[in-house]
Amino acid sequence: MRFITSILLFLLIIGSVSAECRNKSCMTNEFIFVEEENSTGHVFYYDEVFNIGSNWYIIFDYPEANTNTTISFEFDSGVSKIHSYDNSIATDSISFSGSSFSEENLNMNLKIIIEGEEGMKNGFNLSIDINKPPADDLFYLWGGMTVFWLSIGAYVIYMSTKLTRLRAK
Amino acid sequence: MKYQREVIGFIGFSLVLAALYFALIQTGPAKFFTAPNAQKLFYLHVPSGLITYLAFLMVVGGSIIFLYNGSEYADKLAKSSTELGIVFGFMSLASGTFWMKAEWGGDIVNRFLTDMRLATTLAMWLLYIAYFVYRRQPDTLQVKKNSAILGLSGMLMVPLSYLSSRFLRSHHPVIVGTEDQGSLDPSLRFGLYLGLFGFLLIFIFLFRMRMEIENLERDIFKSKMERL
Repeated sequence: MRFITSILLFLLIIGSVSAECRNKSCMTNEFIFVEEENSTGHVFYYDEVFNIGSNWYIIFDYPEANTNTTISFEFDSGVSKIHSYDNSIATDSISFSGSSFSEENLNMNLKIIIEGEEGMKNGFNLSIDINKPPADDLFYLWGGMTVFWLSIGAYVIYMSTKLTRLRAK
Repeated sequence: MKYQREVIGFIGFSLVLAALYFALIQTGPAKFFTAPNAQKLFYLHVPSGLITYLAFLMVVGGSIIFLYNGSEYADKLAKSSTELGIVFGFMSLASGTFWMKAEWGGDIVNRFLTDMRLATTLAMWLLYIAYFVYRRQPDTLQVKKNSAILGLSGMLMVPLSYLSSRFLRSHHPVIVGTEDQGSLDPSLRFGLYLGLFGFLLIFIFLFRMRMEIENLERDIFKSKMERL
């Protein structure tokens, strides 16, 4: 009993520690974008796989002596976000909801446009794979199916045994 | 035919296997569901629920006839159907719980207390558990009469459970007799009918087996009483 309780507790804890990571260290890719020569550029940290159902983050370091006003992110599908610069911080981030996409799509372009003070625009593309993770409801399917076979099987065995015993009497 | 009962059971089992093949292999994961794989439980969950209602209605019918003319056969029918209703009811409730957990999530106990379809079906099932336990004692006339009166409660419980998702607070989907019935995909209906006929034949197989047990038990009980 104690063993089963320990396993259940372990599974409960395992299930609750898999929160979404929002740190640079969790991002698999890094891209440096330099607007002008001899200047520090923006550094973008992101995961090249967008898993449907989980929020997707992109983190960016502002360049030194930052004078930009907005930065816009737009996927090929039309999903977009515009972010205003905050000059008081060096690192910022935005997120896209896990429900932004419903179908898988490989190498989707994410167009990033940085707008300067005088309306000057610079941009580049990142390639993102939209991934649809397999549904995790198979456990429930097989659990439910097992109920049918165990119930019918156990009942037939119970009745057969009883029938044999009664016939013998 | 010597093996008629076994043949019925075999055909029923084959139909259920065909329903499973149809649900799990021929059709892909269901669209428009949070849990597209667990939705496959639909093909056996609904038939087991309908067979449960059938079994408990047979208890009601048997109880009425027994109280009307004291028919021994009606009493045996009611007693045997109760046991089968409990087995199929368990399948329906347990499979529904798995599906509900995958599709709706949340606290299962809370759902059974607040969703009227779930609450009334569980209450109906527990009521017939009480009937089953009561009948574990020797079949005297008084026990049969009391059981028949208890069995009659299905007259209220079966319609209450079936109609609860239409008129009371419930998330349980309603399809039969509503506008959604026409929107059921024909392939979905095919799989559902396979499961339904399969379970119906398995029910007949089990029912006949249970009736034979009942006959043997009564014969043994009668001969024991005669010896005394």
